[in-house]
This record gives sequence, C-alpha cells and structure tokens, in this order.
Amino acid sequence: MARFAPAVLQRYLFGGQLLVRGCLRHMRHAPQTAPSLYSQRYHTTQIENTSSANAPDITIPFRKQLKDEAKQRKADEIGKKPKRDNQRLDNWELTVGIEIHAQLNTERKLFSPATSTINDAPNTHVALFDVAIPGSQPTFQKETLIPAVRAALALNCHINKTSRFDRKHYFHWDQPTGYQITQYYEPFAKDGYVTLYAQDGLAREDGEKIQIGIKQIQMEQDTAKTMSQPGDVHLLDFNRVGLPLIEIITLPEIHHPSTAAALVRKVQTILGAVDACVLGMQSGGLRADVNVSVRRRDAVGGHEYGGVHGLGQRTEIKNLSSFKAVEDAIIAERDRQIDALEAGEVIEGETRGWTIGSTETKRLRGKEGEVDYRYMPDPDLAPVVIGDDLIDHLKETMGVLPDQEIETLVEQYGLTAKDAMSLISLNDGGRAEYFYNTVESYLRNNPDEDMSKVGRLCGNWVLHEMGGLSHLDASEENPLNFTEAGRCLITTGKLAHLLDLLGKSKITGRTAKKVLNEVFESALRKVDETPQEIIDRLGLWFQPLSDQEYDELAKSVLDIDIVNQILAGKIGKINFLVGQMMRKDADGRVDAQQATAVLQRLIEEYRTN
Amino acid sequence: MLRLAAQSATGTLHRALAPGNAFILQPDPDARAPAPEGKNVLPYALRGMAVKDNITTLSTPTTCASKTLETYRSPFEAGVLEQLRSCMGTVVGKTNLDEFGMGSHSTNSAFGPVTNTTPFERISVGGSSGGSAIAVATLQCDMALGTDTGGSVRLPAAYTGVTGFKPSYGRISRWGVVPYANSMDTVGILAPSATSVMSVFRCAIEPDPRDPTSLTGETRSRIRQSITKSRKRERARRKRLGQWESEDDDTKFMNVRIGIPVEYNIEELDHGVRSIWKDALEIFQVNGATLVPISLPNTKHALSAYYVLAPAEAASNLSKYDGVRYGSRAEGWREGTGHVLYSNTRGYGFGEEVKRRILLGSYTLSSEARDNYFLKAQKVRRLVQRDFDRVFAVPNPLLPTQHFDLSDLDESTPMMDKLGPPQVDFIVCPTAPTAAPSLQYVATQNSVDTYMNDVFTVPASLAGLPAISVPFSISRQHKRRDHPNYTGIQIIGQFGDDQRVITIAEKLEAFRDARNLFRTPALQQFAVKNGVLDELRKLYLGEKENLAPGIGPRIEKILLDRKYHPVSDQNRQPWSEYASELTPEIRHVQTYGPRESRKPRTDKEISRDLKAALEIWEQIKTSENNDP
Repeated sequence: MARFAPAVLQRYLFGGQLLVRGCLRHMRHAPQTAPSLYSQRYHTTQIENTSSANAPDITIPFRKQLKDEAKQRKADEIGKKPKRDNQRLDNWELTVGIEIHAQLNTERKLFSPATSTINDAPNTHVALFDVAIPGSQPTFQKETLIPAVRAALALNCHINKTSRFDRKHYFHWDQPTGYQITQYYEPFAKDGYVTLYAQDGLAREDGEKIQIGIKQIQMEQDTAKTMSQPGDVHLLDFNRVGLPLIEIITLPEIHHPSTAAALVRKVQTILGAVDACVLGMQSGGLRADVNVSVRRRDAVGGHEYGGVHGLGQRTEIKNLSSFKAVEDAIIAERDRQIDALEAGEVIEGETRGWTIGSTETKRLRGKEGEVDYRYMPDPDLAPVVIGDDLIDHLKETMGVLPDQEIETLVEQYGLTAKDAMSLISLNDGGRAEYFYNTVESYLRNNPDEDMSKVGRLCGNWVLHEMGGLSHLDASEENPLNFTEAGRCLITTGKLAHLLDLLGKSKITGRTAKKVLNEVFESALRKVDETPQEIIDRLGLWFQPLSDQEYDELAKSVLDIDIVNQILAGKIGKINFLVGQMMRKDADGRVDAQQATAVLQRLIEEYRTN
Repeated sequence: MLRLAAQSATGTLHRALAPGNAFILQPDPDARAPAPEGKNVLPYALRGMAVKDNITTLSTPTTCASKTLETYRSPFEAGVLEQLRSCMGTVVGKTNLDEFGMGSHSTNSAFGPVTNTTPFERISVGGSSGGSAIAVATLQCDMALGTDTGGSVRLPAAYTGVTGFKPSYGRISRWGVVPYANSMDTVGILAPSATSVMSVFRCAIEPDPRDPTSLTGETRSRIRQSITKSRKRERARRKRLGQWESEDDDTKFMNVRIGIPVEYNIEELDHGVRSIWKDALEIFQVNGATLVPISLPNTKHALSAYYVLAPAEAASNLSKYDGVRYGSRAEGWREGTGHVLYSNTRGYGFGEEVKRRILLGSYTLSSEARDNYFLKAQKVRRLVQRDFDRVFAVPNPLLPTQHFDLSDLDESTPMMDKLGPPQVDFIVCPTAPTAAPSLQYVATQNSVDTYMNDVFTVPASLAGLPAISVPFSISRQHKRRDHPNYTGIQIIGQFGDDQRVITIAEKLEAFRDARNLFRTPALQQFAVKNGVLDELRKLYLGEKENLAPGIGPRIEKILLDRKYHPVSDQNRQPWSEYASELTPEIRHVQTYGPRESRKPRTDKEISRDLKAALEIWEQIKTSENNDP
C-alpha cells in the first residue's frame, strides 16, 4: 500500500485534498475538494442588519435573549452569518451582470444543414463549412430563428427587424474558422426583462418581486468539443461546432448572489417552457459567465457597463455550469474584491475561473492577455430580416409562460405560490394538467361551489396526499406513473368522485385517505375499482353517532376538576373536552358542534345537581 | 490524366514547365469535349479552360499558390466549374497566381513568379490572375477563369493584351472560390475577345443556393426589370427632348452616353495610356455615342479604402489556416512565439505579402484602430457606390430610389441641363495608369506604390459593378522601350448591367480592329495603288458625309461582319498575336530590341501584310458588286 507523507495526509484529512500524481492524473478533472455543505450554506444568503432592533444597552435576561434570537433566526429561515460579513456588506454593494449561453432546440446547425445531435459518434454530423473547408460558405438556416425568437419573446425582448452577423476572432482548435459568428453590432433582440418572485429563490433583500433587465440576446455558433486524452493529446468532435446558441446578456442590476442563481434558474425554466432550449445546465445545454464588481455604498465608481454608471471595476468569471456554481463563484469573487479593496489594492479587469467546490476564483488572464476580438461584419451573410408575421405567429402559438400560470393558480384556484410552483414543475407539467382536470370534473358534480375552495381542496390532494403515495411495486421515481399529458394510475374521475364524497360528508377525511391508498393499490394490481366500491367493500361509509353514543363518549371524558373550572367561568376548557372526545373515537365520526352541545348539556346538568 | 509539371528544388512543390510558369498543374492540356455545338454549350473553340488555382477542382490539388495548401485537395468542386463543365468545358490546367490572390504582378507565388513570354520576360504580367491571363495570351488554353477582388482579372488582361471581365458581385457563384475579401471577390473571365467572354459568361451565371451572396433568380429578374424599365423611361425622356436617334444600325453606339470621369485623368497617367483612352473615346464618338465628362469625386479615396477593407477581410478569412484540419503543419509548435499552437505553422505557410496583409488587416480591425480605419473605409465605400449611382442613367437595382442633391456636387461638375449633371450608360477609362511595368521597376517600388496599379480597377470592385478590360495598342510615338505596346481600356456599367457591358466591349473591339486595319501601311499602300486613299482617310477620320455615297458604311459593314471578321471564332487568335501580324508597330520586338534596332521589315513580312489587306479589299469590292 502506498504511503503518504504526513503533510499530504493532513491536507487530505482536513481539507479533503489529495495530491495526485502519475496514473491518478485523470482524476484532475474531478473536484479537488469535497464540497462542504455547511460552509456553502453559510455563504449563500445574507441577512439584513437587524441589530438596531435589539438596542445593546438594555439589559435582557440571558434566557430571553437566546429565545428571541432563536425566534429571529426562525423568522429569517436562515443559518448564521458571520458578523464581520454583515458589516462589510453594509459598506459595500455588489453588482452582477450575467451572460447565459443556451443551446437552441433546432434540427440543424446555425449555418449548415448538418443535423444537430447530442450523443452520436464523433464527427458524423459535419458539413464542409463546419470545419472551414476552403471555398465553402455559410448558409443561414432560418428555422433556427423560431426557437430564438420564442426565447426572446418569452424574455419580453424587443425583436429587431434587421439584425446582422459579425465575426469574433480568436484562435483555438475548437473554432475551425478562427472566428465565431455572433451578433455583436446588431443583435436580433434587445431591451427585455425577467421578473423574479420570492418563490423563484430571490434573495430576501430583494423582496417579493424584482425585475432584471436584459440588454440583448444574440445568436451565435457553438464550438467543437475537445476530448482531452492523457499525454497532451486532444481529440476534437466537430458534431457540436456550429450548433446555434443564444447569448442572453443581462444588465448589471443584480446585487445578491442568490438572486443571480435564481435568475439563471428562471431563464432555464422559461426557455424550457417555450421549447427554445431542451437541455438544462445539468446536461451542458446552458452555461453562464458572470461579471462581478463591488463599490462602497457611499462612493461612486468610475466604470460604466451596459449603460449603468458609477460601478466598480469588474472581473469576469467564465463558464459556470450549475446554479450553485453561479452563486458560489459570485460570493467568492465578491469577498475577494472587498478584501483586496480594503487592503488598499486595485481590482484589475481580468478573466477568472471557478472550480466547483473551491472557495476562491482563480485568475485566468489579465487585461494584457485579453484577446482583441477584432469584430467585423461577416461579408458572406446577409442581414436577417424578421417579419411581423413571424413574430405574431410565434406570439400566438407560444402558450402560457410559467409566471402567468402561477398567477392563475394563485388568483383563481386559491393555491399558495409555493404549491403552484410545485404543481407546474412536477412531471413536466403533467401534474398541473391532472390538477386542472380534477377541478373540472369536481365542479361538474358541484357547479355552485367556490372555485378557489375547490382549487385548494384539489391542490392539497393532488400535490400532498397523492405525493405521499408509495408502494413496493410502484416505481420509485414516479410511483403514480404521471405522464406529461396529465394521466396517472388514479384517474381524475376517481379522485374527483372521492373528493365529492368527502365534500358531502359521506366519508371522513381519514377514510378518504385510506380509500385513496386503496384506489392506488388496486390500480397497481390493474384492478378497476371505484372509490364507492372500495367504501362498500370495506364498509367505510360515514355513520353519525347516535345521541346515546354521544352521551356515553362525553361522560367518559368528563373530569370533575375541569367541569368545576368550566363552571367557574373558564368556558374555553370545553374545547379541550371536545378534543378528548374526538381522540377517543378512532373512526373520526365525532362532529365538533354536536359534541360541544352534548357536553354543554351534561355540564349544565352538573350545575343544577 | 494527371501530369505533374515538375518538382521544385525542395521536392515538394510542383513547378510548371509550361512557358511563362503560367500553370501550377496541367492535368490534361489538350483535353476538349468533342461533343457537338449547341445552344447552351460552350463553342468548341472555348472548351479548354484554365482555372486559377484558388478555385477548387476535384481532379487536382487546389493550392492558392501557398505553401499552406501545397498538397491540399478539395473535397468538392466550385459551383462555377460545375456549370461550365455541364456546358462542355474541360479543365486543362490550374494556373499560377499571387498567393491567395494578393498581389498585382503574380510574383508572390510559392511556385515561383509567373513570367511573361519572350521577349517580355522582364515585364510584369499583372496579377493576381497573371497565370490565367498569360495562358490565354500564349494560347495554352482557350479561355481562363480568374478571380477579381480589386482588379485581379482586369489588370493582367490589360498587361497581357487579352480581354478580362469582372461581373457584378454575386452574378457568378463563389461556392468553391477560396475567399480573399468576400465582399469584393468575383469570378472573372479571361478570353481572347469580348465575344468569347460573352459565350463563357452565359454558361456560368446560374444562381447557386450554396453561395449566400449569389443573386437569386428572383433578384435577377427584379434587376432585369429595373434596368429595362429605366431604359424605357430614359428613351421616352430623350425622345421628348428630341435627343433620340434611330437605332437602325445596331453595330454602332447610337444613343449611348459614355461618361469620362475627369478625376481619372491623373498626373501619373502615362502619355501612351492617355492617347489610347483618347482613341477609344474617339471610336465611340465617331460611331454615334455621346461623350460626357462626369465627376466621381470619391475615387481618390477608393484605393485607400480598398487597402483597408480587403486586408481586414483577408486577415479574417485566412485565420482558418491553422494546420489542424488540413494544410501543412510546421514541426515544433512548442517553440513558436508565445508557445501558441499555430504560430510556427502560419509563419511557415504564408508568404511575405500575405503576412503583410494579415498584419495590416488585424491592425485595422483592432479595437484601437477600427473606428479610424475599418469603419471610415466602409463609409468611403458607400460614397464610392453613391458616386456611381449618381452618374448612371439606370438606378442601382439593389437600392431604393436615391435622391442626389445638387448642392452636394462638386462645383466643377458640368451640368447637362437645369436638372443636373448628365447621366450616362457606361463609364470608359483606362484599366491601369501605365502599360505593364518591368519587374525590375516593380521590385524597386514599396508595397504602397505597387498598390497604385489598382487605382482605376478598385472603384468598380468596391461598388460591385461589372467592368471589362479591352486591350488597345499604344501608338508608336508613345511606346516605351522594351515594353509591350498594349494596355487596357475599361468599360464600367451599372450593377447588373453585365450583358450590355460585354456587348459594348464587343462593338468596341470590332471598331478597334477595323481601325487597326485602316492604319496598316500595307492597306494604305494598296489604297494608294487603287486610288482610294482619300476615301480610306475620310473613313478613318469619321468624315462620313464627305465619303462617296455608300462606300463608308459598306466597308465598315464588311469589316464588322462576323464572317469576314479577322477574329472570327473559327480562326481565333489572341488579339495581341494577330495584331502583331497585321500591325508590326504593335508587337515586333526585334525592331525595337536593344541589339537589333530598327531593322527594316523583310520583304516576306510586307508581302504577307499586303496579302491580308488585299483579301479584305477584295471582300469590300465583292460586297459592293453584290449590292443591287
């Protein structure tokens, strides 16, 4: 067995780092440090300074202080945050702009008829132009405009009637032509915005709702995929080269790391909802670059980005491939910049990198190493002219965006924003579809009922009661076999019927849960059994207690002490007795009102006696 | 069959043995498709095509005369070649050029410079399509394709005495043409005469969807309609003004307005070139055209704009040659500048002029220089195009109707009427300010001076207009020692007016030939003998009204009739060749050579010329007799 030097062992044990040599080289690409959940949570959110509420000079009992603090923490729903950082963030303002690169959902590449693929054998979908064969020319595939315009519309952008393609020059083996075709001077869409809500994971400081401006969206080409082999060998797969991307550039209007992550997540959701992009960040279909700057709150910086003035010098962190990386990288870079500025140093405009799990950004290249991209209009490509008819058609056929749907669910169906979010995000929208159908068939039987009441009832059952179902024979991932179209093992008719019975007090809530489980299990056995049949079979129909039964039950819980208290005027104690009665009845048949009446009668009898 | 011409000293480059180093590779010099003549095929005499080596072919490598691509084989064939081969054309060779088309004398080739034929070995053939031009001039092919970015077809055509045509931008497919500056690159045709150019042009102008800048069928018909409509309008206008003449004689230039750009009469213009410009204009005027001085004020900036834009595009286009996917790769990349993977490869593969232009282009596109150079040059380009649009009677079919304010015009601009300056159908100017210079002289020039050669060709390239260079001979008193006595006259037309430009050139060539014939001493001797010298002189001077009734038109008609034409397709010769036979002052070098100075003409030569003249005279007489 290999022996490790004590220093190495120490670093491994305390830092999770392992020095890698020789045949372990390939492990280099794996994260070098195990990510500590604790340290990250520690960084992810910031609390407002609430110290003014607890004036320090008033003496407070220690116990009470602890209790209050715990309450405060609970209210804030966060972990702790070092005081040092709090104070610093009082003095410093963070500003972040994000560039998101997203792969468009298209059949062909941007400038060649080669088909786009994800997992085919390397170099099987390559046209002459894709590998820059001399004399070959680009042919703009106008179908790529459809997802691009959809994305721009969903992000509330203004679509430019005329846009142009420019060449951005830099040498790299994954860029065959020596330039990337992009839209630098005249992008196809600009001046949009994304609205973020609290339920999107907004930083608390940003309140319930915030709008982040989008400067522009441009179409551009992807690069080839490099597969690095041991021994400084790089293999190139040109299947990816030339695939259409859109680059979404936000204004530097983000001031909190978690808002940045929420924005990227939201953009991914929106792009998915309008079918503009199919791959999320987890599969590499989305990448983000962030521009980070800080400035003292009481001072004005001398820089301007995207029309926003007075910012500090920014640095760019490239190629972040997860939401968490976006958030963590921004925190690390913010802290680094503040440290540097407080130590009297100057921030350089430079490009930095971030490895998942690390705590610091790494300098990649400085300004002197920056590539001058030498932008030039592409002389082979005519301007892209987008007609109003196309825009109108895409607007009409785009469908409902997640935010609109959440609003409808909250306003009309009476759901909480959180439940609405869960509904539309589960089963690729199938859960929401199922929910609508259930509400519809419930209302068919009870047309006079209030929509929001029905919505809340159905939402609770579709989301929480059905969400809790599981069985050994069912799949672990999706026990109810929900489909995108909104079908599952339990038909909406059966659920609506069950809820109808519950609503009309034909069964108790507890029974309903039991019956739901039965329906689920019989569906798993492929037996078609209605809730009614199950209730019949198990004899679960609700039978109200007789007066005599009420009397007996009430007498069994009466306690002379409590009765005396009630007689002395503590009327509220009667509810305690009702609770006792309900607990005693295993079938849940006790009606609170009747029970109260019976109890009152018996207590009155005591008084007269 | 593939025949490698030769091997270079290092054993890697194929050197051509053919005279003039015109070819990089000659797969089959004598191949011609023997199939019958037909309507939509090339005439038999034009089927052997020489192709500039920056146009991709399947059968041979495509080198662009660069070490980078010295063994490169294209996986596909250029669109224009597909079209010409379907019209019975055969590639007989790939011609030498300035590396990637960058140069004006065809000397920047990895395969050695193109040299002129005896006795002009020390004279430039022009560039960058010099190999194609000299191959046509020396009968090594029937016609040739070149590429014209800033005059690369017209200049060598003028320097070697052949006809060179640059079409409107987007007329001929560029699919498979290795780009130098895409926004100006065109495929050009080099041929012995404008008539041949027309035959080739007709076979090469199918729209090509693979070239995004190729004019679509729809655009073409729109351009055609626009030109027809505006010509009709112009005709109606002139009729109203009583300026319209009958067009019965379509051999002449009736109702044609020729513009003479006053700014082109530059100081550097050679005396000989100025005199042939005058000659050409005289031919136009004598035969019915109206000459109009016009102003193209932005021409003086065109050259600088071109040498900002073309290198910028070149730097961009040439960044694909990194040795990763194809082309040569230099060893030891680790030692390259800045340890960059490609620096040695690109340093090794490119020649000096290419490197110079890449650096120039990279600079003008850099963020510090872009505003001052690249964007300014683009503006100049617009102004140049506007200049042309203002003077052409036919509006630019690609643009919405433009209005030109009189107050914008230069004060010296001559006015036609109170509505403004006259508008013209064509612009006629020299192709180059001098006849072909000696290579020795070229070597003493710095690169900026060399760029001066393109001063008259670049404006049409910037504006994407069709232009043709027609060879003309310089008269004896202006000829320079040891230099060829021919150069080109350029005709420029409005965008899309390609066919008319070639047709006008055809007529001009016919009149030029007729005029040369009249100038022949032999014919003059003959005329003295027959007592018609006076008539001949009058005809030559265009004094038609003083001519004996009927004789002038008849003489001209016969001379112009294709049947009797000295350059009929059946008996085709490059113009420079037949010109030297008939008019010894044009190309009889031994007469002017350093050693054998002023050797009297031999009896044999005199009698040959006399015989030719007699034959023509006989034809004139016969036609007179046949007249009822």
